[in-house]
Amino acid sequence: MASLQQQIAEKFLAALVEREEIDPAQIAELRQLLGRGKKPKADDFTQVFTTPRGGVVK
Amino acid sequence: MIKLEAAHIEEVRGIRRLDIDFDRTNFAISGPNGSGKSGVIDAIEFGLTGDIGRLSGRGTKGLSVAQHGPHVDMVDFPDAAYVRLSVFIPSLNKKATITRKVAAPSKPTIVPNDPDVKAVLEELSEHPEITLARRDILRFILVEPSKRSEEIQTILKLEEIGQTRAALHGAQNKLTNALKSATGLVAASRSTLQRHLGIETNSVPDLLKAVNERRMVLQLPAIAEFTQDTRLDAGIADPGQAPPFNKTTALRDLAALDDATVNIALIVAGDSASIQSGIERLERDPALLSSLQRRVLIEKGLALVDGAECPLCDHRWPDEAHLLEHLRGKMSKSEDAGVLQHQLLRHGAAIGSQVDGLLVLLRQAHRIAKGENDDASLTAINEWGKDLGALKMQLGTFDGLIGLKDRLEADWHAVPAALADNLNALRRAVEARPDQSAAVEAQTFLSTAQLRLEDYRAATRTEATAKSASVVAKIAYEEYCRAMEDELNALYADIQAEFSDYYRMINEDDEAAFTAELKPSEGKVDLKVNFYERGLYPPAAYHSEGHQDGMGVCLYLALMKRLFGKEFTIALLDDVVMSVDSDHRRQFCRLLKAQFPDTQFVITTHDRLWAQQMRSEGLVSAKTSMLFYGWSVDSGPLVEAASDVWEDISSALAKGKVETAAAALRRHLEYLAWVLADELSARPTFHADGKYELGELMPAVLSRSKELYVKAWDAAQSWGNEAAKVAIAERKATLAAASQASNVEQWAVNPAVHFNAWANFGQKDFEPVVAAFQDLVRTLRCPDCEGWVHPSPRGKPESLRCDCMSVNFNLTAKPR
Repeated sequence: MASLQQQIAEKFLAALVEREEIDPAQIAELRQLLGRGKKPKADDFTQVFTTPRGGVVK
Repeated sequence: MIKLEAAHIEEVRGIRRLDIDFDRTNFAISGPNGSGKSGVIDAIEFGLTGDIGRLSGRGTKGLSVAQHGPHVDMVDFPDAAYVRLSVFIPSLNKKATITRKVAAPSKPTIVPNDPDVKAVLEELSEHPEITLARRDILRFILVEPSKRSEEIQTILKLEEIGQTRAALHGAQNKLTNALKSATGLVAASRSTLQRHLGIETNSVPDLLKAVNERRMVLQLPAIAEFTQDTRLDAGIADPGQAPPFNKTTALRDLAALDDATVNIALIVAGDSASIQSGIERLERDPALLSSLQRRVLIEKGLALVDGAECPLCDHRWPDEAHLLEHLRGKMSKSEDAGVLQHQLLRHGAAIGSQVDGLLVLLRQAHRIAKGENDDASLTAINEWGKDLGALKMQLGTFDGLIGLKDRLEADWHAVPAALADNLNALRRAVEARPDQSAAVEAQTFLSTAQLRLEDYRAATRTEATAKSASVVAKIAYEEYCRAMEDELNALYADIQAEFSDYYRMINEDDEAAFTAELKPSEGKVDLKVNFYERGLYPPAAYHSEGHQDGMGVCLYLALMKRLFGKEFTIALLDDVVMSVDSDHRRQFCRLLKAQFPDTQFVITTHDRLWAQQMRSEGLVSAKTSMLFYGWSVDSGPLVEAASDVWEDISSALAKGKVETAAAALRRHLEYLAWVLADELSARPTFHADGKYELGELMPAVLSRSKELYVKAWDAAQSWGNEAAKVAIAERKATLAAASQASNVEQWAVNPAVHFNAWANFGQKDFEPVVAAFQDLVRTLRCPDCEGWVHPSPRGKPESLRCDCMSVNFNLTAKPR
């Protein structure tokens, strides 16, 4: 089946790795969000973008 | 994904009961209009997807699978209408059957019920694009670029990408607004700190000067360096206590509230006027207001979609994609309303930010009133605070803004009269307080300064976090758009190249240099095609309808190949080349064979000639063709099947039904005559309407057969090929005898033996007629492969042969 969505997601995440403004923890969360099979909502992304650098205490 | 092995269709659409053996290979169904061909496509589509495009696509209001899926006599018995498909799944090397009833389209019975089988069939059910009809072709070729973009994105299931982009954009907007709010709070807390310190600027020297003056009064060491950890009240006992009253600061805070309520009118004048103007426009245009209100509702619905059930009305759609398409379609009709909505909300947010500032000042006044135990002021402040809070909420939504016209026209920012009196009294009470001793003033000053500094620092930290999040959101959105654009450009470039290749293959005789340009830009896909190297134009500009049909199919094939890749194993093509001429359809057969050897095409056509071309080009065979020669409500499609037509005729004759047998024989011979006339390149007397009857075709077929045998014999003679001469003579004699027995050559002169008279024959008289034609047909075939003996190649035949070459006579005489 078409993997255009996956190709775009990979290209997108690879571009983010090159941007120092983006924390690796955020990139990891985005990867999970885009790969979970459910359509991500704006609130899902908002939560990722407001994650402090280095992640949160769990 | 799958290949069809067999289908059993019962009481679906115009079909009563039909079994088709597809054998995992290409299959052609031909027949006149209304004979049930599209009904077969509908049934297969239903079996695989649970839906029927003809009943649920655009322009099908009032139609539904539930009501119009069953045969018209079975509408009240939908349980009786079902399709059972036997399929093969190449990726799993497994067979399965899927049985789907019209009464329960979303609950098929799958055997075996293995998870991997179910997954493949589930995925297939989400791809209605496996069916292509002519109305679909028009969607790609003749629509405007923005619609074409939607169509192509739908077929490629790109809406998910659009949804991700929209979600990222939504997050960016939210975080941008959060940053604005945080920045507003920083400004408010800075202003509060500066006001308390009595300094005009936010400079450290000014702050330290004001602070150290008070520290000196208390004989505390001056603060030399201001850092993140500096405490302005360092050295004062119990710094954590609530700040004691500071008269100077309290008076300054009350004065700031007065100033703000006066100045705010000017600050928000522009935004207020814009909102009022927008509201007036809506009052003048009720349709626009209605459109906007619906848009707001649909926006809410879109945000809540999570499955196939509409969150607004609970209606269940075939799947989530259909529901989203429906809602977005409605949104797209209200673009003007959307622009106005955006403007109104923007102005509302600007005024809201000023309301926030007022609330900050009101909180200071509340603190002062509490310190004075002024219950009346506290009550009035609380009331106005609640009112401003409600106003802030209203300014944030469209529905809220609509109701604010009168309020915005009035002085909403003015302190309510009762509160104004209270605040005046409060100020007098504060002024009446004895001036604090220098020590008390200094102590309260420093405690309050520290608290306000902490508020300011907290607001700054919040703003920094919000800024970081906003930057991250912006970068994420931009990078996603970039990745999407790059991949879509590459996708369209691939599709453009393949589309052009396919079209050139079909039109190699007259458009061998064809090129196309499929250009995406800002939500549109522009399609331009080269017209005989005179330039690029929209397809409808200069190309004929037939060429446009060809383009549509080529674009479809390019899209499907891109979407499915190796999994493109099945497609249902419902009379898609009706406007394409004969030569180009032949090329189309070759395109399908050469470029899609692993794809099973189920093709319907009303054109007998094209049905025959598909066979002669090897796209389908006699076994994988089906001819419908008619349809009735009671029987459904009337199927012409070569393999058992003679049995049907014999069976009818045995029951004494000569009329039935005669009709069947005539139909079959009409069909064969068409086929043979094409195979042999027979030459009946031409007439422009192209309608040739049995009485014209069959004599022409026999005449041409004899002509070819004569030519073959002459060629054998010229080469001295005695063996060939004997074989040819034998076949020629057999043909002559069979021809004579059939009386075909007598039809023109003897009405008694003409086929029109067959229905009047008695059983014993008709049996020899049947036998004679059965024999005649046999002589025209190869005894080994049963294929027609035909000249080859077309146009300039060099041999008279069958498919297996058991019969193979040279037609070219030896040069002299």
